[in-house]
Amino acid sequence: MSFLQSIKNTVRSRSIHVSYVNVGSCNGCDIEVLAMLAPRYDIEQYGIYVHNNPREADILLVTGAFTPQWEDKLKSIWDKIPEPKAAIAIGNCPISGCVFNRRGSFVDPPVAKHIPIAAEVPGCPPRPTEILNAVLSLAPVVFKDYEEKQQ
Amino acid sequence: MKKTVDVSLPIGPLHPCFKEPARIRCETKGERVISAEMDLGYVKKGIERIMRGRPWQEVMFLAERVCGICSVIHNMVCIETLEKLSGIDVPERAAYLRVIVNELDRIQSHLLANFSYCYTIEHETLSMYLLNLRETAMDMLELITGARVTCAYMVPGGVRFDLRDEDRLTLEEALDHMEKELDRYVGMFKNGPLIAQRSKGVGIISRDDVIEAHGVGPVARASGIPESDRRLEHPTYRKLGFTPLSYEDGDNYARIMIRFDEVYQSIGLIRRCLENMVPGPIRGGGTVTAGEATHAGEAPRGELTYYVKTDEYGRIIDIAIRTPSIMNIESCAHYMLEGVSSAADITSTFISADPCIACAER
Repeated sequence: MSFLQSIKNTVRSRSIHVSYVNVGSCNGCDIEVLAMLAPRYDIEQYGIYVHNNPREADILLVTGAFTPQWEDKLKSIWDKIPEPKAAIAIGNCPISGCVFNRRGSFVDPPVAKHIPIAAEVPGCPPRPTEILNAVLSLAPVVFKDYEEKQQ
Repeated sequence: MKKTVDVSLPIGPLHPCFKEPARIRCETKGERVISAEMDLGYVKKGIERIMRGRPWQEVMFLAERVCGICSVIHNMVCIETLEKLSGIDVPERAAYLRVIVNELDRIQSHLLANFSYCYTIEHETLSMYLLNLRETAMDMLELITGARVTCAYMVPGGVRFDLRDEDRLTLEEALDHMEKELDRYVGMFKNGPLIAQRSKGVGIISRDDVIEAHGVGPVARASGIPESDRRLEHPTYRKLGFTPLSYEDGDNYARIMIRFDEVYQSIGLIRRCLENMVPGPIRGGGTVTAGEATHAGEAPRGELTYYVKTDEYGRIIDIAIRTPSIMNIESCAHYMLEGVSSAADITSTFISADPCIACAER
């Protein structure tokens, strides 16, 4: 491992920026993502910073069963995120559509059809600790030795 | 007169301040907003359409997934409509337990709304305090119902679980804790000079404008319409001697303060429920029959109405939901945002109306 890569690994291990996008959820998962900010779960102690700017993000949290309005928008948000990047599907909706995936509804799950999903957290909604655990366990897999893996 | 528009300023659909996707199109002169329009439709799922033709046992779970923040009141109003159309009575203890869970849900929703506002005006300390206090309310919801967000606690003719005596003590302790902490945070909000500058006199909506825009819930009560509270017509709340609160100013400050005051009020209502509650059955039973009914309840954001029509097997033939957020978004876009003096105040005014896009679009 080169010296530069080891510096990058150290920096990236405690500086993960998270952005979240709601593509048609009922808000339940979104408020559980927000609850991660609370001092009880305290996501920032792991160096994870939640803010909603895709251009600065490393990890995209996707909630909701894909609605038609997001057909082109989610792809463009995904393209705006700089490499290395990963997307996590939060809740049942982006995985299977949950209760909304019935005949007559407007949703088009799973989200994995539209952007590559690296991890999935099932639950309706999942607990904040489970979301936190998913972000923490995915980050080293994606970001460690990223440049060397590319070669 | 011809309007001079300098900038057309779009905000959203993905914005750091918004929890949900919505788009505000503002026409501004410099930074002063001349007019604003809302673009909705980002989370339209068609829930009412998939509810039709299904038995009430399925519709009940779909109803509480209309909105994740105020899922308890959706459950409550849906079940109360079914009870109304088939004439099912609720045991007294179950009626009090429903009020307890509903008020806990209101507490967490109001605290979340105030968290969002404080986060938007960049007072991160206070917002984190409020978010942590909300976790106490979520714990109590989980203690009583078994789930944090989608509880499905109420069923026709009663509730699912009883409140055990040891859980009652935990609940009373949590209420004391919440009240004590909230005193501190409300003091911080009231006495913070910068908060007052960012909130007082911003986003004013007058009483007449609220009536014209059909504003409901805290938005209406902050502009001096206390009678807009639907809890006045609920039999259990009447038994508890509920009186609604109101503020006169109609600005951002009043809208946040009315939510803080309602959290105190909800704590008081839960205490009164616990005092009045006597041991007894929690499920009376009953069958959902054919009928047609409209019923309204007070969601944390305002009046929520369900119209339900069923056949003799309890299947839903027709259902229509009217959620409060759509009226509040309307009054926000067309009255509050008009004349707001900076781009930073646009988001804070929008958040102070506490719009719930998932509710509004379904």
